[in-house]
Amino acid sequence: MSATEPIVQIVDDDPSFLVATSRLLRASGFAVKTFSSASTFLAQRDTDSPGCVLADLQMPGMNGLDLQSALTTSRNPLPILFLTGHGDIPSSVRAMRGGAVDFLEKRAPKEKLLDAVRRALARDARERKEHARQRELRARFDALTEREIEVLSHVVQGRLNKQIAGDLGIHERTVKLHRTAITTKLGVQSVAELTRLTLEAGIFEASATTFPKGQ
Amino acid sequence: MSWVTIIWSTIASACITLAGIYLLVWCRNRTAWANLLFSLTAVAAAGFAFCELSMMLAETPGEFGTALRWGQVSVWLWTVSLVGFVWLYLQAGRPWLAWATCGLRTFALLPNFLVGQSLNYREITALRHIPFLGESISVAEGVPNPWMLFAQLSLVFLVIFVADAGVTAWRRGDRRKALMVGGSVVFLVLVGLVESMLIFWGKVQAPLTVSLFYLCLVVVMAYELGRDVLRASQLVGELQASEADLRENEERMSLAVDAANFGIWIRDLARNEIWATDKWRKLFGFAPSERLELDAILQRVHPDDREALQGVFAKALDGGGSYETEFRLMLPDGGIRWISSHGRVEFDASGQPARIRGASRDVTAGRQAELETQLLRQQVAHVGRVSMMGQLAAALAHEINQPLGAILRNAEAAELFMQDASPDLDEIRAIIVDIRKDDQRAGAVIDRMRGLLKRQSLNTRALHVGELIGDVRALVRADAAARRLKLDVNVPSDLPPVRGDRVHLQQVLLNLILNGMDPIDGDRPEDRRVSVSALLDGAQTVEIAVSDTGTGIPDDRLAHVFDPFFTTKPDGMGMGLPISRTIIEAHGGRFWAENNKSGGATFRFTLPIAEEAAAK
Repeated sequence: MSATEPIVQIVDDDPSFLVATSRLLRASGFAVKTFSSASTFLAQRDTDSPGCVLADLQMPGMNGLDLQSALTTSRNPLPILFLTGHGDIPSSVRAMRGGAVDFLEKRAPKEKLLDAVRRALARDARERKEHARQRELRARFDALTEREIEVLSHVVQGRLNKQIAGDLGIHERTVKLHRTAITTKLGVQSVAELTRLTLEAGIFEASATTFPKGQ
Repeated sequence: MSWVTIIWSTIASACITLAGIYLLVWCRNRTAWANLLFSLTAVAAAGFAFCELSMMLAETPGEFGTALRWGQVSVWLWTVSLVGFVWLYLQAGRPWLAWATCGLRTFALLPNFLVGQSLNYREITALRHIPFLGESISVAEGVPNPWMLFAQLSLVFLVIFVADAGVTAWRRGDRRKALMVGGSVVFLVLVGLVESMLIFWGKVQAPLTVSLFYLCLVVVMAYELGRDVLRASQLVGELQASEADLRENEERMSLAVDAANFGIWIRDLARNEIWATDKWRKLFGFAPSERLELDAILQRVHPDDREALQGVFAKALDGGGSYETEFRLMLPDGGIRWISSHGRVEFDASGQPARIRGASRDVTAGRQAELETQLLRQQVAHVGRVSMMGQLAAALAHEINQPLGAILRNAEAAELFMQDASPDLDEIRAIIVDIRKDDQRAGAVIDRMRGLLKRQSLNTRALHVGELIGDVRALVRADAAARRLKLDVNVPSDLPPVRGDRVHLQQVLLNLILNGMDPIDGDRPEDRRVSVSALLDGAQTVEIAVSDTGTGIPDDRLAHVFDPFFTTKPDGMGMGLPISRTIIEAHGGRFWAENNKSGGATFRFTLPIAEEAAAK
């Protein structure tokens, strides 16, 4: 199993159901890992690998909803799918509000289950891709000096070189030099592309929380 | 005037006066025949006194004879009226003695006028003058007439008759009357008889003074009658006093009736009239002077209760005698008033109902509270049942869905594995083993559920079936009344106690009775009935049956009524009978259902007799 292959991680206190579900998912072509409790899963799981979590809602000790809140605040917030022997509305509402992909009865039809797993994996893949792109952008912006960032902030607001030079109290030629360095470092061709990238990276709004330094 | 004339005239006028007084009394009260007879007796005594005076003053035997002859007529009247008086006054005496006395005396009138000079003398030969009270009076000398014996015999009969009547009255308790009237008649008649016999048979030469004794007798009789008149006037006084008491009682009664909020009504069936107190009129919404008609009253009764109320009246009139019922009135403002009414039917001498008296009371407030309590209790019971069943169902679903889900997933996986070109048979084998294991697990869950009901919660002890049923009856009584259903309980008092868990058995009975009430929709009271009965079934068991008069169970469903989730009710869960059967079987009894021949269904179950009772 390579590091990029998604893994369906099943958490259920009922060993028989755990084994049976893992068999079905394996037979359907998924890579599967099983855990007999929420706490073992949180302790032993692979924090990097993609995939999704298929968890029983009612478990002794840490139940499905507790697992969900622990997972969303973790470094690898995998999408979660809930299974229940007998669903009740308040739990399902809480689960869905907490971002669960689906809420299925244990005896739900196979197609429904597999479809939900596929959706969960797709969501994980999409989230992961976005994550990777943001990481890459962040790396590019990290190469800029503080002065270059300052100049960039004026550029994306649509100000002319002369105006920027006046604002910052530097020579217009220096502004041009900074702009060339920025476009080179970020690998962009036009001001429009520069603006789009800057917005995508979200660098000027709540930058500290979105991209904490050193991440 | 001579003393003789004065005394005898006084005797005659005293008798006439008394006769007049009591004739007047009789005229005022025509039913007091004793007064009339006394008057006749007194007139006869006066007549005889006059004849005696005539005899004493007679100048010739002819005059003497005539006076004596008419004297006999007076004695006849005197005897007959005295017999009648004693008969009426003492309310006693033998009729044949009375008839014999009157008959003989009447017969004696024949020889009095036909044989000889009078009844007493065949022939008066001479008059002798003897001194009497200082003057000379006449007495007769002659041949006695033997026919006189009839007259004397009649007097003997009179004495016997009066003595006998007196004894009877004495024994009955009318001692005073017996002594005064009976005693004086016997004594004075006997004295008169002896005197006249001595004189007429020629033993003694003396004037006849019998009217003196007659006067005594008349005075005694008058005195006795006078007491009665006095007593009557006393009674009038007492009656007036008791009437005042009666009014007072009526006042008190009406106060009590008002205080108890009762409206009273009386229906006279013969005259077809209804009378009611103002309070009753207010209750039923009639004006104080409005004429009351039964139809108009029934119009005010709620249509749903009207027929039942008429039924209650009909039953009371048809020999029931009394009734007690509750019904609703429709008020003009659209509201409802609950009336509690009870009453009695009075029957006349021929056994026909003559009138109904009833008391009605407004019980709306109590009824409302009762209905609310009942509703609340039903809701609580329903919530209790639903939540118990809900919990049970949730637990059952969770426990069973685990193995069922595993079985499903394993089967689906096996299907997919089989689609491989070279299926992993070991894997498939493992799957089959797991499927079997999970199936057993699901079965074990169900067994555990049953076991939960069976063992852990039974707390058995000796129970009286009558008390058991009575407890449940108290629970459903209000419910049954609200649906106008009759709940019959028939438990022999000598039924031995059974062994069981009180709460569980109450649950079973409650379930059966409520089930029995649901399908009943007949209109006739005999069609609206749930009966609970118990009987000894062999030496070891008691059989309890709950029958209803509802629609029964269709034959094709009879076999399924104990299946879980089988129900005919739109909101039923189909768990009542299966749980009930589990409870009964856990008690070691049997439980079955059957349809009644006359409609409706009967559920029967058996319970073992408590050991201590069975050992006896």
